[in-house]
Formats: sequence, structure tokens, C-alpha cells
Amino acid sequence: MFHFFKKAKKANTQSKPQKNNDPIRSSLKHNTEHIKQLFSYGTNKDFSYRDLIAKYNQKEMSLFYYSSIVNGDKIYEAIIRPLLEAEGNELKNVVTVESLTEIKDFDEVIEHINSGKAILFQEGTAIAFSIDVAQFQFRSIGKAENESAIKGPQEAFTESLNVNISLVRKRVHDKQLITESKQVGKRSKSEVNFLYVSDLVNDDILNNLKKRLDEINTDSVRNVELLEQYIEERPYSIFPSIHYTERPDKAASYLEDGYIIILMDNSAACLVVPVTFWSFFHAQEDRYLRFLYGNFTRAIRLFAFYLTTMISATYVGITNFHSEMLPPDLLLAITASRERVPFPLIFEVLIMEVAFELIREAGIRIPNPLGPTIGIVGALILGQAAVEANIISPIIVIVAAVSGLTSFAIADVSINFTVRITRFIFIAAAGTYGMFGLAGAFLVWFMYAASLKSFGVPFFSPLAPYFKSPGDTVFRKAIKNEIWRPGNLLPKDLRKKRDSTSK
Amino acid sequence: MKRMICISLLLMFLTGCYDKVELEQQSYNVAIGVDQTDKEGTYEFTFQITNPEVGTTSGGGSDEEPNETVTTNGSDILTAMNTVNSFVSKRMTLDHTKVIVISEELARSGDFLQIIQAASRTTQIRRATQIVVSKESAAEFLNNIKPKMETRTHKYFQYMITRATQTGIIPDASVHRFFQITEGDADLFLAIYATNEHEEKKGEGYEDQYVAGEIPQEGGSDTQFMGSAVFKEGKMIDTLDGQDTRIAHVLDYTLDMDELLSTYPDPIRPEYRVAADYIQKTPAEVEIQYNKNKPTKIDVTVSFQIEVLAIPSLVNYSQNSAHQELLRKAIITDLESKANKLIKKTQEEYGSDPFYWSLFIRDQFIDVPAYEEADWNKKIYPNADITVSFNLKRLAFGKMLNDTNLSEVRD
Repeated sequence: MFHFFKKAKKANTQSKPQKNNDPIRSSLKHNTEHIKQLFSYGTNKDFSYRDLIAKYNQKEMSLFYYSSIVNGDKIYEAIIRPLLEAEGNELKNVVTVESLTEIKDFDEVIEHINSGKAILFQEGTAIAFSIDVAQFQFRSIGKAENESAIKGPQEAFTESLNVNISLVRKRVHDKQLITESKQVGKRSKSEVNFLYVSDLVNDDILNNLKKRLDEINTDSVRNVELLEQYIEERPYSIFPSIHYTERPDKAASYLEDGYIIILMDNSAACLVVPVTFWSFFHAQEDRYLRFLYGNFTRAIRLFAFYLTTMISATYVGITNFHSEMLPPDLLLAITASRERVPFPLIFEVLIMEVAFELIREAGIRIPNPLGPTIGIVGALILGQAAVEANIISPIIVIVAAVSGLTSFAIADVSINFTVRITRFIFIAAAGTYGMFGLAGAFLVWFMYAASLKSFGVPFFSPLAPYFKSPGDTVFRKAIKNEIWRPGNLLPKDLRKKRDSTSK
Repeated sequence: MKRMICISLLLMFLTGCYDKVELEQQSYNVAIGVDQTDKEGTYEFTFQITNPEVGTTSGGGSDEEPNETVTTNGSDILTAMNTVNSFVSKRMTLDHTKVIVISEELARSGDFLQIIQAASRTTQIRRATQIVVSKESAAEFLNNIKPKMETRTHKYFQYMITRATQTGIIPDASVHRFFQITEGDADLFLAIYATNEHEEKKGEGYEDQYVAGEIPQEGGSDTQFMGSAVFKEGKMIDTLDGQDTRIAHVLDYTLDMDELLSTYPDPIRPEYRVAADYIQKTPAEVEIQYNKNKPTKIDVTVSFQIEVLAIPSLVNYSQNSAHQELLRKAIITDLESKANKLIKKTQEEYGSDPFYWSLFIRDQFIDVPAYEEADWNKKIYPNADITVSFNLKRLAFGKMLNDTNLSEVRD
């Protein structure tokens, strides 16, 4: 458990990646043989190649690509047909593609072929041409299912880097919006793109992120969900330190406040760094709703936050240690319902909490056609049947239901787990020491949360420590009155509102 | 370092759960009764334990009694509570005790102060627990409480005492107030007076001129809460009827009263009475001028409003200003005479006041010994020169001004 308090050890042991630094020779035969051997031609079914004689210079040429990840029509229309039919003096004047790169060694060849490019070798030339004809398959843009909103855009990120960047650029029309990229993974190289507005972002945070990306030392990082675990500061912490969202509009609003967005292929979501408690507490819809409505949902959510962490623990603490605190009628009602229950009260609460967690977990994993079963089984466990079997008392059903229901109001996946785990810690504390233990556990929990930093930004800032900010913490201001960007990030430009006449 | 933290964390679990107790392992006491026995130093304690299963929907226990009343002998409340465990199955808790009932006999003997001391030591008895003096023995009183509407006794006590206190016919008699007044060694403490024994009062009595047991009643529960038992220095000396208790409420700065519906003599047709709602928005103003060698002057001003509820005599008080003036005077005179009568009684018979007026003189002494030497109970109050003036701020007549004209109706 001491890992919780400790930063993850920095990976320093840089193993030397195997380099395949063979230069491309001028002999086409040699090049062809070498590349066939590299990609196990023949065994590797979708690795294709085509020989042809170009019409413009009458030289032999070979084209290599993965047929599964390129656009076949484009290869035909833009490469093969012009080579066979067109006249011209140079290759770049013959092929009709938008991107043509010259590469010199096989290392690059491998990389380019893997990322969906076609490689063209020419007899007597010691360079190869890489032509972008990639066409990876991905899901079309769907609705944001996990962070749904009634009022607000419905688009969600999808598993394609280009589409995702396009979704962000569509929202942020700023020439300073930079899409920088780094490669991670030693064996399967994946591209990590991080987006920021260059005249807002705090360079320290940006450099910190780059450093952590550079330090990743592993064979492959497939998507942002895995990347999150590679770049986070405290892997054993109960609190998340990186925000994960599938909403491009949310990503855009973070960008405009000076945050950094991380995107990758194969993830229908982005990461946001740095992060504060408020990023997890807020839903994007709070801002789309009018001032009063948005703050009303915030109030509800805050209440839900309190209930879901505390209600079961408070119930255990008060009934086991402080029965004098209960109003007599409630006390007698609970006592009467517990007369025939065989278990200690804390055990009763744990049964129900665990049952709820089971239903929740099963509900996520169960195949869709079996979905309704969960409802029936769940209703049986959590409902009247358990009470009638004298396993639990009816009040526990209400407590567990409130505690479970309110946990759904905390929409963010990461903080939701925090809250659910916290609940069990609090129940244990209240079960051993009553309200005294609960207060102590809460204090420790809260102190730990307040001590956290995400990329150097304190977890509860800008509220504590205080910074100039839009005032968007527990509640938010009217949008017209938001003057500053979050000062806790130390952005290059703190003032959000240009118009100085109104305030 | 790691090991140290680990060990200290494990140490926490050594203490774990030591005062944890499951709800169903406790029985909840609602009322404590204390009676005298023949032997000095031994008292009879009665505990009324509520049955949680009665009055819930959780099934079972519906044919059980709503509470169990047990009596045993002992020297104080807490040890008696343990003795009771020889015939009560669960651990007793006094946390939810609503009333402590003492018999008039015990109260008058003066032993009550010793017994109630336990309440100030234990955390189990709340300071807000009410002290009730019963005319009969406390055991008898508790055994015979049979509320008709409330299944559970704690609810009965709660409603009964709250409502009766609101109307001012019984005082707020918390254990806290008892200690405050008794330890202050000045003033009189008023406890709630109640009984199950009825003994109708001969002669005339208006709506609140009764003590418990005297009120003509038919139907309903036998238990009557009315009037107060006067305690001087922890010993009961007398009872006050409902009306005097109400006057004490009017004159006492610390007691609250919500509703005082009462009747006043009709000045024009004395055979009738005028019913009115007495409204007092501000507490009585008490001014004390302490004179060391001659009688202390106490001036009390009570500002109040009257809303006339019924004029059975049908005299037009509302629109005839001369009549109205008469009514005004009659009400003030009536209140003043009632108050003066009570004050005179307290000065001459009790030698102290039930109005907590000593609060207003304390700031005129340099320190506590000086105040104690001046002696409120013996020297200041009995000889004080007290004037009470009632100040009628507003006289209202309800929403209909005219009463039925009898001669027109019966022509």
C-alpha cells in the first residue's frame, strides 16, 4: 500500500532498439529480395507487390504495400496507371498522388509500409519512394454514449486519429492550434499526437509531457487508455491524474483554456492533461445549460458525491456506535426490522454493496441479448426477496439503492471508481470506530487528495490553492462574467475576455 | 520506516469496535419512575421499555404489548438498570428516555436531589429529559398510562408534553433547568404535574384553574397533565394550578408559550365571560433596583395583545369605544390581579419566585459571594416591592365585528 504515497519509479533503462539500418541499394533485385525477406513474402498473405515497367523512362519498378491497409483504387488510379501510361521526365511529374516522399534506408521502408504507404523501388536508384495510399478501417463518428448530453453536440471521437483531429479543428479555429506528434513503442510504433494552443499552453507542462512520452520504454502502446497508464505520475493512487473524455467539444474547451489534448489512433477518446478534481466533477453539459440550470445540476451532483461516499458508512457508524443520534421512531423501525436478521449490520451493508457492484460489473460485461436477465436477477437480490428471506433488513435496501444510484451521477469513469472504492474504505472505518473513524478516514482521504498534483498542478486548484480562474469549481459563474483562464495552469495568456468595457 | 508505519497501522486494529453494539441487542427505555421505599437510601425504580416491533410493518410482534414496564429496587438509576437485566433480556439504554417520573411523596421528602445526581454524571440521560411529578406512585403512574391513539409511549410523551407546554398549562421542566435553578440557589423550579387518579374539584373552576386529576373528563386516556409542582432547593413544596403556571410563563423571561386561550370577566354582563387569545410577542421586561437596606424594587412590564374569540354576552365591544375601554380595563385588571395574587403567594408562602427573576439582579453584584450574601431567597425576594403592569398593545376582534343581534333573530 505504500506505493500509493510514492511516485512511480522513472524508467531509466533505455534498451537499445534493434536497428535495421541497411541502406537501399541501386540494384532493384537486391532491394526486392531484401524486402521480401523482411516481410516474409509468401507467408504473409496480405503483403503484396507488383512489378512493372514505367512508360516514361522504360525502367523496371517494384511496388510494395499491405493490401489490407491501402486504398486499392488509389494505387491503381494514382500510381500504376500513370506509370504504365503517362509520359514525363520525372517520377513526381508522373504519379498523381498528393504525397510522395523519398526514403533512403530499410528501417524507414518498414515503418512506412506498416503505416499504410506504398513503397516504390526503381532499378538503378538507391532511394525508394513512399506514396501515401493508406486507408485504415474505422467506425464512423457516433454519439457520445458514455458522456451523453441532452443539450449540446452529440458527436464523439472515433478510432481514427485524423478524424479525431478534424473533429477538434472543426471546433477550434485557431492558427496557433498545434498538432505535434511523437512515436512511442519500440516494436509496433504508434503515433501519439498532442494538441495545444501554442500561445496559451504552459511550456513546463508541455515539456513535462514530452519527457514522459520519451521515457516510455515498451514494445507497443496501442491506444490512449494504455498511454494514460504509461504517463501518469502515481500508478497506485486511488485518484486519477489524467482526464479521459470521448467528447470533442469538451476537448476543444480544454484546449481553449490552455490544456493539452492527447490523441491516438485506435481510441475513441482523448486524454487531457493536466487535471484537477473539478475536471472530473464537471460535465460538459453544465456549461451548455443556462447559469441557474447548470448550477442546479452541479448542486445535485455535489449532493450525490456526498451521498454515494458517505451514506452507507454513516448508516453503519451511527447505528453501531451512536444509537442515541437516531430519532426514536427511526431507531425503533430499524431495530424492529433487524430483529430477525442473522448478520451484524456492517455485514448486511457489505452484502448489499457487493451485490450492487456485482450487478454493475455483470451489467457491463453481459452480452446484449442477455441484458434483461440482469434486471430480473438484480431486482431479486436487491429487492423484496432478500428482505423476505430475512437476509437483510428493508432499510439496507434503501441505503444501498441510494448509495448505488447516486454513484451514477458521477459520470466520469475514473473518478467513479475512486468514489466506489472510497465507499468501502469509509464503511470499514465507520464499522471499526463509528463516526470518529469515519471522520478520521475522510480527513486522511481528503488530505491525500489535496496533496496530489497532476503535471505540477494541485488537485484542488484553483479553489485551494487559490488562483485567478473562471470561477468554475463547485459552481460556475454566468458565462459573461468569466474573465480569466484557469490560472493554476499558468497559461501564457491569462485573460479570456478581451472586452474591457463591461468590467 | 515502512515497517514502523505498518506496525502502527496494525496497532489501530487492537482497539477496534470496543463499544460497538448492534441495535437489536439493546432495549430502549422511554420513561424512568422513582418511588420511595420504607428503607432509607433504597428506592423503587420503574423502567418503561418500548417494544420496537409494535407499530412497524415488518411483521411479527403485533400481539405483543407496546411496552414493558418493570420495577425493581436499587440505590440509584444506573445500578438499578443493571439489576433489571435479571429479567429484561437486552442491554438497557437510557439514551431515549423522555421523562423521569417521581412520586409526589418522594418529591416532598427531598430525596429527589440525590437520585437525580446520576443524570448529571452519565451521558445516557439527556439534559432535555422532562421531570414529571405524579400524584400517585411513579410505578402506578407509568403502569396505567394507556394512550388511546399513540401505540408507542415515547410518541405519547413527546406529543403530550410538547403540546401542553405550548399552551402553558405545564412548564418546561428539563433536567437541565432543574440543575440550573437548584444549583443557582435562587428561584423555584416548576416540574410537570400529572396523574391518572381523578378527583373532581368541587365548586367552580374556569378553563385552567385546575391541577392534574381535577379536570372533568369523560373518555380518552386517564392521564392528565396539568399544573406544576413547585420545587424549592430540590424539594417539592406545593403545586400550582394551570392558571398560575400560565402566569409564571407570562412573567418568566426564559419560558416560551405559544398559545394562551383564556376567558376574562365580561365587564358589562358579569354572568358571562369573554374568550380571548392572549398573544405575547416579547418576553416580560423585568427591572430590578437593588436596595441593600430597604425593600428591593422590582418592576415588571408585560406587553401583550388580545384577540377576542367569543363574546357570549353579545355585547357590542367591537364598535362601541366606551364598551371597548371597559373591556380593555377588565382584561388588564384581571391579569394584574391574577399575577399579583401569585406573586403575593410566592413571597409569603414560598419565599422565592418561580419566574427566574434572580437573573436580572445578578449583574448588580461584584462577584458570586456578594450575590450569595445578599441572599435572593431569604432576604431580597420575600421583602421586595413588586409592581406588575400589563400593557395591552392591541385589541382585535377577529374577522367578524358584529355579533348576531338576538332581538332581530328572535322576533
